[in-house]
Amino acid sequence: MKDDYQSPPMDQETSETTIGDASMLLDLDVQAGTPLLRDYFRKIAPDSGQPDICLQCGACASGCPASGVFGMDPRKFVRMVSMGLDDELLNNQWVWVCTLCNRCVPVCPMNINISRLVFVVRTHWDTHVKPAPLMDLCQDCLETDTGSSLGIMDGADWRFIMEETADDTRNTQEGFESLAVPVGKKGAELFLTQSAHIPLTDPQEIPPLWKILHLAGAHWTYGSSASAWASDNACMYLGDINAWEKVVRMRARAVEELGCQVVLNTECGHDDWAMRRGLEQFNIAHTFKVKSIVEYYAKWIRQGRLRVNSDWNRILKVRFTVQDPCQLTRDRADIAQALRFVVKQAVGEENFVDMSPGGAQNYCCGGGGGVLDSGFIEERRHYGKIKLEQIINTGATYCITPCNSCFRQIHDLSHHHGAGFYTVHLWTILCLALGILGAGERKYLGPDLATVGLL
Amino acid sequence: MLTFKVGTLARQLGVHRNTITNWIKKGIFPAKPTTAKRYTMAKKRFVRFCEKEVIPHDVMMSILEEASEKKQGITPASLSGKEGLSGFVKKEPAARDGLTETCPSMSRAVGAVMVVGGGIAGIQTALDLAQGGYYVYLIEKTSGIDGTLAQLNKIFPTNECDPCILLPEQVKCAADQNIELITLAQVQSVQGQAGDFFISIKKYPRYIDTDKCIACGVCAEKCPVHVAVTFNGHISKRKAVYIEFDQCVPQKYAIDSAACLYFTHGKCRACEGFCPTGAVDFDQVEETVTLHVGAVVLAPGFKPFDPFLHGVYGYGKIKDVVTSLEYERLLGMNGTFGEKVVRPSDRTRPRKIAWLQCVGSRKQNGCGNAYCSSICCMVAVKQALASQELFLDHRVDRTLFFLDLRSHGKESERFFERAKNDMVRFIRAFPHSVEPGTDGTGVAMRYIDEKGGMHHEHFDMVVLSTGFESHGDIKRLARIFKIELDEHQFAVTPYFNPLETRTKGVYAIGAFQTPKSIVRLVTQASAAAASVATLLMAVRESLTTDVVYPMERNISAETPLVGVFICACGNNIAEVVDVAAVAAYASHLPHVVWVENISFVCSVDAQMGIKKKIEKFKLNRIVIASCSPRTHESLFQTILKRAGLNGFMLEMANIRNQNAWVHRNQKGAATQKAKDQVRMAVARVMHHYPLLPECKQVIPWVLVVGGGMVGMRCALTLAHLGVQTMLIECWDHLGGNALSLSTCAKDQSSVLSMLDEVITAVLDHPNVRIYRNATLVSVSGAVGNFRGVLRVDGKKEKIGFGAAVMAVGAKEAVPREYLYGTEPRVMTQLEFGHRVLADETTVGRARHIVFIQCVGSREPKRPYCSQVCCIHSVKAAIHLKKINANIRVYVLYREMRTYGEWEACYTEARALGVRFIRYEVDQKPRVSQNGKTLSVLLFDPVLQRPVKISADYLVLASGVEAHGNKNPADLFRVDVNSDGFLNGAHPKLRPVDLSVAGLFMAGLCNYPKPMDESIEEAQAAAYRAFAMLSRGKIVCEAVKAFVTAHCDGCGVCVDVCPFHAISLGGSSPLKISSPGVGHPSPLTVDKDGNRSPLLLNVSGKDQEPSEYSRDRRIIIDPALCQGCGICAATCSSQGVIVHGFTPKQMQAQIASVFHDPIKENGDDENTLSCEKGGNAPFEPVIIGFLCNWCAYAGADLAGVARLQYPAGFRPIRVMCSGMVHPDYIMDAFARGADGVMVMGCHPGECHYLKGNEKAMARADVLSLVLPDHGIDPQRFECRCLSSTESAIFVNMVTIFTLKLKTLGPREIR
Repeated sequence: MKDDYQSPPMDQETSETTIGDASMLLDLDVQAGTPLLRDYFRKIAPDSGQPDICLQCGACASGCPASGVFGMDPRKFVRMVSMGLDDELLNNQWVWVCTLCNRCVPVCPMNINISRLVFVVRTHWDTHVKPAPLMDLCQDCLETDTGSSLGIMDGADWRFIMEETADDTRNTQEGFESLAVPVGKKGAELFLTQSAHIPLTDPQEIPPLWKILHLAGAHWTYGSSASAWASDNACMYLGDINAWEKVVRMRARAVEELGCQVVLNTECGHDDWAMRRGLEQFNIAHTFKVKSIVEYYAKWIRQGRLRVNSDWNRILKVRFTVQDPCQLTRDRADIAQALRFVVKQAVGEENFVDMSPGGAQNYCCGGGGGVLDSGFIEERRHYGKIKLEQIINTGATYCITPCNSCFRQIHDLSHHHGAGFYTVHLWTILCLALGILGAGERKYLGPDLATVGLL
Repeated sequence: MLTFKVGTLARQLGVHRNTITNWIKKGIFPAKPTTAKRYTMAKKRFVRFCEKEVIPHDVMMSILEEASEKKQGITPASLSGKEGLSGFVKKEPAARDGLTETCPSMSRAVGAVMVVGGGIAGIQTALDLAQGGYYVYLIEKTSGIDGTLAQLNKIFPTNECDPCILLPEQVKCAADQNIELITLAQVQSVQGQAGDFFISIKKYPRYIDTDKCIACGVCAEKCPVHVAVTFNGHISKRKAVYIEFDQCVPQKYAIDSAACLYFTHGKCRACEGFCPTGAVDFDQVEETVTLHVGAVVLAPGFKPFDPFLHGVYGYGKIKDVVTSLEYERLLGMNGTFGEKVVRPSDRTRPRKIAWLQCVGSRKQNGCGNAYCSSICCMVAVKQALASQELFLDHRVDRTLFFLDLRSHGKESERFFERAKNDMVRFIRAFPHSVEPGTDGTGVAMRYIDEKGGMHHEHFDMVVLSTGFESHGDIKRLARIFKIELDEHQFAVTPYFNPLETRTKGVYAIGAFQTPKSIVRLVTQASAAAASVATLLMAVRESLTTDVVYPMERNISAETPLVGVFICACGNNIAEVVDVAAVAAYASHLPHVVWVENISFVCSVDAQMGIKKKIEKFKLNRIVIASCSPRTHESLFQTILKRAGLNGFMLEMANIRNQNAWVHRNQKGAATQKAKDQVRMAVARVMHHYPLLPECKQVIPWVLVVGGGMVGMRCALTLAHLGVQTMLIECWDHLGGNALSLSTCAKDQSSVLSMLDEVITAVLDHPNVRIYRNATLVSVSGAVGNFRGVLRVDGKKEKIGFGAAVMAVGAKEAVPREYLYGTEPRVMTQLEFGHRVLADETTVGRARHIVFIQCVGSREPKRPYCSQVCCIHSVKAAIHLKKINANIRVYVLYREMRTYGEWEACYTEARALGVRFIRYEVDQKPRVSQNGKTLSVLLFDPVLQRPVKISADYLVLASGVEAHGNKNPADLFRVDVNSDGFLNGAHPKLRPVDLSVAGLFMAGLCNYPKPMDESIEEAQAAAYRAFAMLSRGKIVCEAVKAFVTAHCDGCGVCVDVCPFHAISLGGSSPLKISSPGVGHPSPLTVDKDGNRSPLLLNVSGKDQEPSEYSRDRRIIIDPALCQGCGICAATCSSQGVIVHGFTPKQMQAQIASVFHDPIKENGDDENTLSCEKGGNAPFEPVIIGFLCNWCAYAGADLAGVARLQYPAGFRPIRVMCSGMVHPDYIMDAFARGADGVMVMGCHPGECHYLKGNEKAMARADVLSLVLPDHGIDPQRFECRCLSSTESAIFVNMVTIFTLKLKTLGPREIR
């Protein structure tokens, strides 16, 4: 090679020339010195893909509704972890806007579990800079025996509200005079959990659930002395692993005490995930399973225990669509199918319009992962725009949500942007189709359905 | 004592070489080192070791045996065994169980080879092996040989139509008497060992008698069952009785018993009732046969990834999402929806198309196909370009979503640039998923651009560039042949012997190893043939046969006696053309002494009949009016030869494909046309004369230029094949670039130790003569007979050789940027390899090492990709990280092109923490030096901000550059592309052949490539040279140009000859062109090609007195001439003409269109168009000169597709549009043609490289001249057509006819 060598004319090299914005210059010699997050990830998940092997293909970022928020997207995020930009990652609020919806995970060619990565980064934030609202919620979870993130509800409060509401239903609604709301019933099959928000803000939304359980003849109960009835895990959102474990353990203990076979999650997909994942990750011995109530609705309808009928909508032709809670349907096609089955039974197949994409490919609404309560309202609404557009494109008047976080987010999106569609809980529509929806339980229905099915 | 080399023993024991080294080091294996890297140990100790380590007894014995054989000087090649000559044994041999893995003694070797897989790789292997003297069984699972290639529309970079280039190979394969095509068959089991395999094959019934089937298609027309076709992807359907595709070989139907109503419901048998030849045979049964072969080549191909498995692509749910193979069929003229590209949802033309790359490739997630499929990028680029070419009337918005665009092959980067210039959008991102578009058509996708901006865009359709996968057959074959498969189920082969599998005598080629391009698998086909031939050297030609024909009758004194045979083709011709009337008419033509109507002229009976008639009536010229000469000419030539006639005394009138099938509603006109066609054929055949292919003796030496790894491997292969080889090297040492490579191998094997082995082997081999310090000074002669002068150590030496292989290599380019040359820490890849990487302590001290890719490459100055640099840097980076995990390694790249299985290295490097940062060509990294530190500044596209890195060493991937003008290739006058690399004869199908016959190339001088690919080329080139010389003589084309007495030595033809076959000669010109044995001596040939005594020189121009005194004439080297006739059409004085296409033949044919000797008596000489006279509508007569390779084939296909066009078209077949002399066109007009069309291939597709360009250029000039002769230039057209563009052909003829109708009849001056 040297034989041909004849000192070639040099291209001009000027060391002063900069590329791009000099103030943004990143000195990798310094930065790459402390790649704690990267190393941490290597340790905790050596098998599930490493940020280092990212191909930078952008499939994750292309499908992420949070792309662009705080100047970040999943691809950039992974790159930053790999490059060791820990300081910046621990200052960019983006991790609190990511809903951990997992939409990016199945498309990553390198199998990098990005939402896990986001979670890990959340855990590494200093506690005093983590979003204060989430901090408070987690604190409440830990401090109340109810496991509720809205800590004002201690056991007595909660029992009071429940009793009041149940009494009211028994007294005013025909056929439900013997409606039972069991608490701490040993040997019940199903251990019911539900969103902490509802008893506080919308107690009228609870009876429809009870009535469905009643009609289906379910053997269910709330936790004894009201402990661990709340179906949320703000500590998991917060990335406080110890607290997450504590909450899961508390609930597991409560379930085991009563000898229930199934924790029936009426709500949030994330709680479902936090429970399942937590049991596994913290090695908590248990004999029960964690299931979503959607599966049970479908089962009961198929068994004829719930005689759902869509005749009420045959002439009205009110169009419905349904929101898939990410954690429930992302990799569980059976639940996505069950959900559609239930909705179609209730509103009539011809009046159901699916969102596209839906099911495993669905877009997160932006309410999950604790984002709803982490305080980033503007960002959350920006995040939700794709979902909003999707719902509007279906032309549906109602968006059914089987998850309270989805419900609150979509309700807010519709309201904030003046989109005009209504957001309802799945049980509301189920009760409507069962002909048992009381007059006081129609807060979120529009005028078109305000009196349907009322005598 | 047992003496061995570590590498050899490792292979025999099936362990890695390092394992053995470790054993020796640890003392487990008690061997002692001796000289020349060999070890010795006592045999007893070896036996004890084997027992302890549980080495199979037979393996141990074979090692011991081999050791003793070596002592006695016995080599496998010296053991000749011709036992088991019958390649075909019905019974399985007893007392053999399964595959014996020992080394064969070769005492029972057979000269037959089995090739599994009838795709292009299998076809090429079969052809190569048959040529080299081996009997070949070509096993194909489907009903015909075609493979994936047949499904493609066009191939890059030539943009040739795929079926056009494949069909000649298929036909050759089917016609070769030493290739036995076994379709609908699968390998069941194997027994025996290398040289001596017994393989049992299950043959599934076709239910069609192939001897009787005439592929008329009536059965399929009548069949009521529709079946979804795999050939056309998910889109179209075929019948239960089917033919794979229009150009499938054999052209025979088959019945799909899974779909056939008779087999499923016990009734129907419609096909049987309608078949005109009684070919349907429902009684055929499955049978198992055992074949006895010496070696096996496996080319089972691949399976396209099924994107249905990934919900994100919406495939199968969204109609307008198609795979690239499906899109290929949409593009293809013989594809799914006819001639237009339409999207599936609403059958409208797509105006906005997106391609998604890496579908089913480079994914650890989901499908797990972590490898790169290597070719999809170029397929997408090609499709993007082709999509616009099809639509001249509207712009197609084309977008490619990609990650790294891998245009690493020869000419590929240029293709990529072309696409960019053609406004194809390249977006470096993968959309997350494909969502349905609005209104149920099209799609929508969301993607993020590099700056982080989100886009939501709609497309009319999406093409998924699906990757390759292994399939069930591969796994089955691997199990049967005990071939190791890797994690992706591809065959594992060693880096330095890339075709060998673990089982000796079994070779894996094509996508079986890993996905690869056509070029590489065709190379592998020849290389596999080399391996087989080496193994079976002793039994070469033991089973092959040559056909021997009776002595040719001397007809020179005979008057012309023409026999005309008119085929009815069952009803195919007869239902449109009145064949009896044609026969009656023909019987009145002059010199016709025998006319016969035959229902199937190609049937065995009819063939015998023709032979008898020739003998009985002493016929000396035959006209067959039937189907296309493209498919049947060789068959009828054989009949003539069997009857003692020269095969060239035949002329065919294509009254099926280009008449009956295309004029179904114009029966009268069709019959008239058939008469005309017969008359034209008779007129032409009158001027035929016997042609004999010339044979030339060859010098049985091969010259290999270049003593690098490739040259040496090539020489060694030749030497093993028993060919005397000269290896010349300009340096005083062998080894070339490989001496500086340390980390490039795919597996763990070491380049240097392999190099050592090869050098030793080359030095030791008696068949190799090595010249060091040698340069080639001059070369003369041609294929088979080259002469050269060598300068060796200053002294000149004359050499002679029959063929030569260029393995001159290339060099690492010298960078001009990034402080190279002024700063010692900045170095090239090779420099880094031996200065730093080789020394672990130096490496240990380094903290930051930066690689910069594409230095000086892929820029206007050096616009190609060097293919190896990405791999090289990645391998080096891995090496660094393995030495010291704390070194920070950065690779700055533009596009990571770790194609194929190299992708695993890229992934490994990332996993080890090597950081890859991409840069744009307009924002290159800046290197600066501040005191001691060297730092690099660049822009990270993902972070969107500048980053700074320190570098202890800066390694520049400067790429590979061709050697300059010192290149000995110059001496051979071979083509060099604009990058300085050698140009092959055909970029796809003849990748190691140079455009000059007898010359081959291998390795870097062809194009930069990794060593395994170079070695494949070395073997392939060696084999091609061997096969060419192995018969001791070379048979040249019979149809070729020759010089007549009219040549005045003007030399115009010299430049136009694409094959450099013509040169200006000295004073005795005609001597040169008469070296042949059998060719009509030019001294007795007049300018019209008649032999003396002149038989039929009834008209013609007067013979000019030959001007022998004239000094200058041209010389045609018959070995180089391909017979395209471009020279003849250039010559103004008929000084050079082409056998078989002499002016007399052409003019007679043209004249006979308008001159009917039978009507001559009654009417006056009238043109057809005027004949109708009176009130009959004007039907213009068009003379069409159709190129044999494209336009004629396209016209044939129009028949197959039953496309209809006006019957006034009179086709004349020429070898190349470039051979159509303007005189013929003027002649046609003078005789009364209403219009003339010349149709050749598309630019770049010419079979003779540039004949079509010449034709176009001439047409331009002619159009200017025509008005002077009173001819409207609109009456003349010169058009391009590919062999699949049947619909376009029909459109062209129809529109031209309409135009002529508007212009009205010609007023003849």
